[in-house]
Parts: sequence; structure tokens; C-alpha cells
Amino acid sequence: MVSWWRPVPANRARLPHQALTSTPLPGLASTWSRLVEAKSPGGPHTFHVLDTGPVLAERGIKPTGTILALHGNPTWSYLWRGVIAASLERAEPGSAWRVIAPDQLDMGFSDRLAHPEPPAAGAPSYRRLEQRLDDLDALADALDIDTGQPLVTLGHDWGGIISLAWAVRHSSSVDAVSTLNTAVDHPSGEPVPPALRAAMAPGLLPAATVLTDAFLRTTLSLAEGGLDPHVSAAYRAPYVSRLGRGGIGGFVADIPALAQHSSRTALEEASAGLREWEKPALLIWGPKDPVFRDRYLHDLLDRLPGADLHRFEGAGHLVAEDRNISEVLFTWLHQKFQHDAAPAASSPPPAAEVMGLHQQLAQMAASWRRDSPAVVELKDSGASQLSWAQLQEQVEVLASGLHELGVRSGDRVSLLVQPGNQLTVILYACLRLGAVAVVADAGLGLRGLTRAVRSAWPDWVIGEKPGLAAAAALGWPGRRISVDALSPRAAAIAGVEASVQRLLRGGRSAQLDTVPMPAGEDQAAVLFTSGSTGPAKGVIYTHARLGALVALLRSTFSIQPGASLIAGFAPFALLGPAIGATSVTPDMTVTKPATLSAAAVAAAAREGRATMFFGSPAALANVVATAGELSEQQRQDLAGIRLVLSAGAPVHPQLLDRVQELFPTAELHTPYGMTEGLLQADITRPEIHQAMATGQPGVCVGRPVEGVVFALAPLDDLGRPAETLQDPQNVPGKLGEIVVSAAHLKAGYDRLWHTDLRSRRDRYRELLWHRTGDVGHFDAEGRLWVQGRVQHVITTPAGPVGPGVVETPVDALPQVRRSAAVGVGPAGTQAVVVVLEPASGAELGFGSSPLAQPEVSRQVREASSEVPVSAVLVVDRLPTDIRHNSKIDRTALAGWAEQVLAGRRVNTP
Amino acid sequence: MSPKYAQRITPGARVLVTGASGLLGRSVAARLAELGYQVSTLQRSPSGLSSVREVRGSLTDPDAVRAAVEGQDAVIHMAAKVSVSGRREEFEQVNIGGTERLLDAAWSAGVDNILYVSSPSVAHGGSSLVGVGAGPADPQRAEGHYAQTKAEAELIAESRAEVGMKVLVMRPHLVWGPGDGQLTKRIIDRAKSGRLPLLGTGAPLVDTLYIDNAVEAFSAGLLRLPSIAALPVEQRRLVVTNGEPRPIGELLMGIAAAGGAKPPRLRVPPVLAKGAGAAIEKIWAVTGPHADEPPMTKFLAEQLSTAHWFDQRHTQRVLDWKPSVSIDEGLLKLARHIRRTGKVV
Repeated sequence: MVSWWRPVPANRARLPHQALTSTPLPGLASTWSRLVEAKSPGGPHTFHVLDTGPVLAERGIKPTGTILALHGNPTWSYLWRGVIAASLERAEPGSAWRVIAPDQLDMGFSDRLAHPEPPAAGAPSYRRLEQRLDDLDALADALDIDTGQPLVTLGHDWGGIISLAWAVRHSSSVDAVSTLNTAVDHPSGEPVPPALRAAMAPGLLPAATVLTDAFLRTTLSLAEGGLDPHVSAAYRAPYVSRLGRGGIGGFVADIPALAQHSSRTALEEASAGLREWEKPALLIWGPKDPVFRDRYLHDLLDRLPGADLHRFEGAGHLVAEDRNISEVLFTWLHQKFQHDAAPAASSPPPAAEVMGLHQQLAQMAASWRRDSPAVVELKDSGASQLSWAQLQEQVEVLASGLHELGVRSGDRVSLLVQPGNQLTVILYACLRLGAVAVVADAGLGLRGLTRAVRSAWPDWVIGEKPGLAAAAALGWPGRRISVDALSPRAAAIAGVEASVQRLLRGGRSAQLDTVPMPAGEDQAAVLFTSGSTGPAKGVIYTHARLGALVALLRSTFSIQPGASLIAGFAPFALLGPAIGATSVTPDMTVTKPATLSAAAVAAAAREGRATMFFGSPAALANVVATAGELSEQQRQDLAGIRLVLSAGAPVHPQLLDRVQELFPTAELHTPYGMTEGLLQADITRPEIHQAMATGQPGVCVGRPVEGVVFALAPLDDLGRPAETLQDPQNVPGKLGEIVVSAAHLKAGYDRLWHTDLRSRRDRYRELLWHRTGDVGHFDAEGRLWVQGRVQHVITTPAGPVGPGVVETPVDALPQVRRSAAVGVGPAGTQAVVVVLEPASGAELGFGSSPLAQPEVSRQVREASSEVPVSAVLVVDRLPTDIRHNSKIDRTALAGWAEQVLAGRRVNTP
Repeated sequence: MSPKYAQRITPGARVLVTGASGLLGRSVAARLAELGYQVSTLQRSPSGLSSVREVRGSLTDPDAVRAAVEGQDAVIHMAAKVSVSGRREEFEQVNIGGTERLLDAAWSAGVDNILYVSSPSVAHGGSSLVGVGAGPADPQRAEGHYAQTKAEAELIAESRAEVGMKVLVMRPHLVWGPGDGQLTKRIIDRAKSGRLPLLGTGAPLVDTLYIDNAVEAFSAGLLRLPSIAALPVEQRRLVVTNGEPRPIGELLMGIAAAGGAKPPRLRVPPVLAKGAGAAIEKIWAVTGPHADEPPMTKFLAEQLSTAHWFDQRHTQRVLDWKPSVSIDEGLLKLARHIRRTGKVV
């Protein structure tokens, strides 16, 4: 026994509001607290329990279900005060959850056990997992839980393990499980997370957990942005003295990291039992947790493949403090246990017959065009190309190799490969196997990319050297495959076990015939949003939905045999083969669209006999800017292009006019779409000019394409979209959120259960809708005008104003390159601020002040005749998103303007 | 129906305006007379108005106050000591004591419609105000003798609702325009002599009130006083502005330009954040104590180095009033006035 250990005496349970005289307990009502005696092992013991049963009874409400919530270490039931408050707020006759949240024995305000010896694995005076389950049994008996009603467990940290294990033990009475960050297994032999290692070291454990409050303080410091001091004090309250902290040490000592640990068997029973769990399960996760990292989430998902997961990007271990988990929890409970008679919703039929992408490719490879080029790639070193037959051959060979390596249907494969022929081969090989391609492009930046890859948690990573290096350095998950064959040494360093090049040298194996073709409803890909409005979201596409997109692209742009497209916009490079068009990748850095030169497009047009050019606005701008370098021959090469398409963000009509000069015979289109649905509306250049002449605010993106149905959710005075959708025909000119339904929309958001549910909440016309988050209006001619994002709407005292109402006329001022209108002040009474980016050579600023010159302000106010402008500011460059380099980050700009206009000294936005 | 029980106080009614020697009081009295009200005024110096019954005297003089309220239907109480300097007792005597005396006299005389003219400064300290409403007066938070005593007096006036008086509180913010010898004239004079450096970024958004709009707002307030005074207390306090927050630098430059002064140069001293209030105070510093000056104190200086603008939705709704002169129109009117008359006042 450690010589400096002094025994901890037993102590009685107390009611927190009575025990504490000077520590306030913000958010916790004394009426929720009670002391309950239970016949627990070695007991009876008295537990402090938060229980809303009496409160509900007093309100005359009979509970329709029970939530048993179990805190972890070193917190107490205070953790669940938000859930309890939300449950009472929502409680009404016929729908009320009783929440029971005990303090575990030796924790919180429950009985303290005597500890003659310091905490250590197997030390007899400390609770072990098995006993904690028995404690819960005893408590459940004492609390008289109504098992005739739904019973749901909720846990966090150690409480997650115990509650899940308890649910497994009572799988016939527990109807659903839910947990925040926790882990039910730790592979023996793997090191414990570094964050825990210090506290678990046998020599340090008593000191870190019981003798001092180091472990307690460290855990509380994990709240993102810090806890309110009163809340932090409330968490510490039962543990301020060494005599209160025995349980903290006991819990840490009970972590069964080693195979021979006394709680290992109990844990393994539980974690194995979870695999049998077929009832509803909800996981709410904060990924910035240094202990329960995403690998444990992955393990939980592996055991509970049917679980719903909402992963709060940016939240950490104390996700219950960091985010509104109650909203997710109760929405989920409502969905699982309160079956509304909501009609089943479906998407409208696709534009044409749908086929899997890999099948489209196979069909082309079998057609009379089998020997014509399918993919052409231009590089410094020259052009390389594959015919349809060769492409199909390579896809099948690679699919065989990947299958042999162990890639299976449903596996996620992260592709860190530049667009080009190789990426096309890899992608179609994945599609053939039914593996899910995770495409997070470098446009997200390294931080965004890391977050995206972690959230998608790929089983495999196929990458080029830079991507693999990042994966190794940043500890991204997944088994690694390199594109190029690496030296054994380099492969070992990067943890690479195979290379695409080597796999391609193998042959097509007959094994591949035994791999079934993926079904339409199987996941095909996870694409990431640009992250210009919050963390990038993973968007899931099924084979059927990608197929519908391909069918739509074919019909909308009348793609005929012999069509050839230059892909200056990554998604189209991947869809090209399925569309049946030759895909030409020009010499450019696809993730930096502004690097595409006119000469590179001309070279691609010549080499690939291109008939179409797909680019982003930034790419088009650079093509126009570099047009002066073109030779006469190159100009002629461009003249062969019949269709130019600009997608990803709005394009200025003046830029379109200059693009037209470069492609004199081409029809120019600027379709409207988003990562969640790549093509929704379309408009041509002449139509844009016609539309612009009507002087309506925003950017006109045209009319819906075939198979797309739009609806509008009008905004209220505070800029909130209505819950009831309107037929656009009935509300011309009305500003609202754009809502869309189509066969080629996303199948869902990845691991964002609540976000996904919110985005598809509408049941209007019994269709499956997607809330785009974009705002705009439909005009009497049925054209859609987009003005930005819902959160960019300015809520003035005169009503909500889309930024376009101000920006469209201001952008027309000759000395303005572009402008952004943002609101400052409280919702409903915001002041309108215009931020200008000067045209080149124009001097609009007022010395070193962010204010515009008085004369410039006057002109801006005059231009914005419909909306009074409070202030006009000038910046060198408006902040934009990385991917498209054209979507203005109005949220950041509004924050900056608010600071400037409050008199604070700030730099650039 | 007698005005005592009417929902509106319509032309023909007898109204006392105290403090009619200042721009706002004089303009409101003149406008009410024009509208057909029977206007009396109470102030120390002559108001220069012809169509009103004028009672000369101070709020501290019980006889003058009694004589002024006798036979009235409503009182618009605008008189106050707003000087930058002076002992606290002087502020208390006029602003608190005078208000109490007036309210008592009105109560005795059966005059129960009171429009108490206050200032947004009674509810706030020196911090940035961004789109806020009219909070309760708070003598603890208010800064300086003027704002503190006005806050006390406002609370006293509000409390008279408990004995059945109908009390509406209106808080205009930074009134300016032709005839304004304080803010407007001072800015122009200083700009002309090159003593109006704009310190800082000049960017903080500030609400102001053009004089004509102020007059219309008070007329509307008087007309609807009985019905507004029946609302819950937090709804019968109205901050009144043009509802057009503008960067302070732009406003100062606009007023200077309207007076024919060269636009002041913008200066950004390297260390700004801290000394902003004190630095700007110098611009506003007055040479000596005068009666009826605007409160050009450190407090106002701070106001002008941080945002000060207000939520006008409730004010405009209950007054059924909207400013008819925009800031830009007001600047044009000011410029025309100065060109025509050669001076601000």
C-alpha cells in the first residue's frame, strides 16, 4: 500500500441544494432532486437522483416513457440538467418523458464508500463495472420504473459504457439506447489515448484523481470555449475535498485497458452484446475529444450499424455543454416513439432511365465507339488518353486488385488524387465494387480536409504522395494505397500496403464476377460541401441518385455520341465517362480553378476535339484574363466549342459577355445547383440579359430543369423561413428559402442525423424535399433569382431584405468591382451596411478609415434606392470561399462590420 | 368628452410646454400652437413666440409653476439643467426637485397628462449600444450629474402613473438642424476654424434626430398620450431618433459641409482604443459654463466614440409616426438655411 495514502471514510448521500450553501447550481431545480435507497451490492446505499417523475405528477402529466441518464467520470447528474429542462418544456399530456438521472455510487451527491486502500485495478473497496450494473438494477427496482412504457438509456463517458451494458443485460425491457462520447471496447495491446495515460499510470493514479483534483479540472477544461465559472463550480462541488473523490479514482482504475483487467470480462460481454442490438440507437458525438476519439465512434458504429449518428463538428468531450443535444435527442425520440401519420415522401421521377455509372461505362466499352477516346489528360509532358475499352479494362483490373486486397462493398475509400485519368479509373473501380468514394477536395484547406476525412472515417485511403504524407502526419484513418509504386522504404514510412500502379499490372480476376453489382440504393459516394457556411458537410449519394444526375446532364445538355467535354470543374471530370462524353482534363490545378489559362483550354480543345467546356466562375475569369496570349490557331481551336457551362457560383453577366467573345459559336449556360444537388435550374446568356433588364434583385439562375420541382418557404420579419411551403407560382417576388425536390438530390448528410432530418422535414405534395439554405424569389415568369444564404438575409425594421436587393444596383456602379450587403445589430432592427471592393484603380476609401469617401457613400445610397444604407465601408478584397473563390463570406464580413461600426479597432475582415 | 378621459389630446386642448427657450421646446410650442392647441410656456428667458401664453419663471419657483399648470389639459416637461459643469445640488434642484414640484402642482390642479422629455443616457453607461430598445432609467448606471438626475426624475415621473396620472416618457437622441445653437453650430464653428479633427475611424454608428422630425414626434406623442400611457411601463418609454444610424464621422462631415466648412481631416492616432473618450471630449469641450447647454461631457464624448443606435420599431408603431425628413434631406435643409441666413441660429 502506498505509504502516503490516508483512508477515505464512508459518507452519506445528500441533497445538493441542502449540502451547498454558497455554490449556486445554475440550471438545476431543487425540485428535481431526491434521495433513493437501493439494495445495491454491499448496501443498501442511498443515491442522489434527479427525477422528473414528481414534477410531472404535480403537473398532472403521466409520463409516456422513461429516459435513464447516466453520467460519467468525473461529472455528476448535473450533466443532464439541459436534457431535463428540455424534457419538462416539451412535456404535455400524452407525450412526456420522465428523466431519471442518478449520481452513481461514490460520485456526485450519492453515498461515499470507505476506501482503506488507494485506487488501483481490482482494489476491493472500489466499484467495478459489474457492480455498477448491479447498482443500476437495484436503483431501477427502487425507482419503480414503468416498463410498460418505452425505456431509453442515455449515457456519457463511463455512463455510456454502463448504460449500454445495462441495456444489453435487459434487452427485453430497454427499448432504445442513446449515448454521447463513450467507448465500449479498447483493443487490448493498443495504447490508451495519451490524454488518459498519465492519470492511469499506477504510481500516479491516486494522486491525479483522489489526492488532487487534477483529473477533475482537466476534464472540465475540455468544454469548448470554457465553462461558465458558476457551471464549472457546480461540477466541482461534490468533489472539492479529497474525501469526495474516491469514486473518481475508482473509475479511472476500472478502465479495462489490459486484457487481464478485472472488468475486462464484463466489458467484453457488453461490447459483444451490442452487436445483437437491433432496437433504435442514437449516438451524439463531439469529435474534439482527446480521449474518446473518432476511432471509438467507428467501433460503436461497427457494432451498431443501424444507429443514427449526429456528430457535432467542433464540439468536444463535454458535448452536452458545447451543443444543444436535447434538440437532437427529443427530435429523435419523437421520431422513434411518436409515429405521426406523415405521408411517405418520394422524389419526382428522374429525367431519363437511370443506370449505374459503372454500367454506363461498361455499355460504352461494348459499343461501336469502344476504341474512341474516353478520357484525355493534358500535362506539361504531353497528352495521355484511354479509349472506352481501355478504361473499362483498367477499371476491371483495378477493381480485381482492390477486391483481392480486401476492399468490399460498403467500404469507404477516401480519394486523395488529382482529377485526371487515374482518378477516373480509381473512382469507377470503387463504384464497380460497391465501395463508397469519399471525395473531399483540397479546396477545403488542410484543416477542413482533415475534419472531413475524420468525419467520413474511411476504411481505405488511396492517394498521391502529398495526400498520403498528410494522412500519415495527421493520423487520418484508413488503410493506405498509393497511386504510384513507392520504394519499400517510402511505403513503410507512409504506411502504404499497395499501389494502384502495381495493382493495374495484375489481370482481371474471375473473382470479380462473384462481386455483385451495387444496388441503386447502395451508397456510392460522399462529397463534401465547400464549407463556406460552417464546417464542410459530407453529402451521401447513392448509385441511383448519381445515375439520375447523369441522365439529367445528358438530357439537359443534349449530349450526343462524339461529345467531348473539357472539365475545369472537378465533379464533371468524374461524371464524364458515365455521361458518355470524352472527358478532357486540361493542364491545371483543378483545386485552384484560377490557374486555368486560355491556352490550356485551347490545347485541351484541340487534343480532345472538345465540344463542351465546363468551368467554375473563377476558371472562366482566368481564361478571359489570359486570352491575350492566344495565337490565331488557338482561337480557332476554341471556336469549335459549342457549349460552355459555368457552375459552382454566380457569374457576372459582363464576364459572360467576354467569355462569349472567346467562344463565339458556343451557347453559354450558368446552371444553379449545390453539392446536395448539382443541377437544379439553368439559364443561357441571352436569357440572363433579358432577365437582368427587368431590374429584379439577385442573380437570375433561370427555370427548373427537367424533373426538378421547386417550392418556396417565405421568410418572416426575423428572416426565418416558414415551415409551410408555397408553390412558387403563387408567391411571385416573395423572398424565401429555396426548397427543391428531384431524383438526383443527395441521399442524405453523412453522420449528421439531425441536420439531415431538418433538411428533409417538409412533406409538401408528398415529395421528398431538400432545404437548400439559399434565399431568393421566383418571378412571374417562373424564373428563380438567388440572393445568397438564409443567414445572409438582413432583417431591417421594414422587413427582411436579401443582400441582392442592395448589391445588384451597387455592383453596377463603375468604380465598384463587387459589393456585399450585410446587416449589423439585432434581428428585426438591423442596419444595412455595404462593403465595397473597388474596381482596379479606383480609390474609394477615406484615408486609413474603413469608411468610404462621403461622395462614394452618397452614390451607393442613391443606387440602393429601395433599401436605406446606414454605412458604406471599403476593403481591398472581400473574403471569399476557398473552393470557388467567388462566394462572398458575408457572415465573416458582417462580424467585421459590426465591430468596426461599434467603434472597435479592427483590421481586415 | 373632456380631455381628461379622451384617448387623444386633440387641437384645442390646453398644453403647457416647459423649457421653451431651447430649440426643441420653442419649436414644439410653436408647432402645437400652429396645429390649434392653446399653448402656454414656462421658462426663464423670453421664448420669442407670439401665439402662446408665456409664464416667465424657474422650475424652482413654486408660484410660477402653479400659475403655469393652472387650467391645463397636459404638460410637456422639457425644462432641465443640462450644463456640463456645476454642483450636483444645482442639477438636483432643477431636474429632480423641479420635476417633482411640477408634477405635484399638476396633480393638485387636476392636470394628469404628462409628457416627460428625457434622454437615452438615463438608461446606459458608456458602452456601445447597437439597436437597443428603451430600458428603465437607472441612476446607478447613468454617467454625469445631468443623466443621473434626469434618470431620478424619470423614475419619479413614471411612478406617478401609480396615482392615476398618465405619463409618457420620450427620449430624443442628439437633435440637430437649423436653429440648433449647440451641437450643429458648434460642429460648424469648429470645422470652420480647423478645430474639428475627427479622431479614430469615424465609423461608430450613431442615431440622431432632425429637428423637424423631433417636433412631429412630440406632436404625435401628445396626441396619443392617453392611450400610450395606458400601456405597460416598458412600452411607454420611447427613444426617438431618425431611425437612420450613420457613422459619426460621416454625420460630422455632413453637418460641417452644410455649414460651408471644409470637411475635417480624418486622423487615426496610433493608440486609440483607450483614450478615445477623453480625446474626443476635447472636440466637444466648452469654454465655460453656460446655462442650457447640451451635456458635452466625457459621457457624450464616449457616446460618440462607440455605437449608439436604437430599435425604433416600437416607437414608430405606438406614435403612428415616421420621420418625414431623412438625414440627407435634413443636411440639404440645413445648408439652405445657412446659405439664406448666413448662420445656424
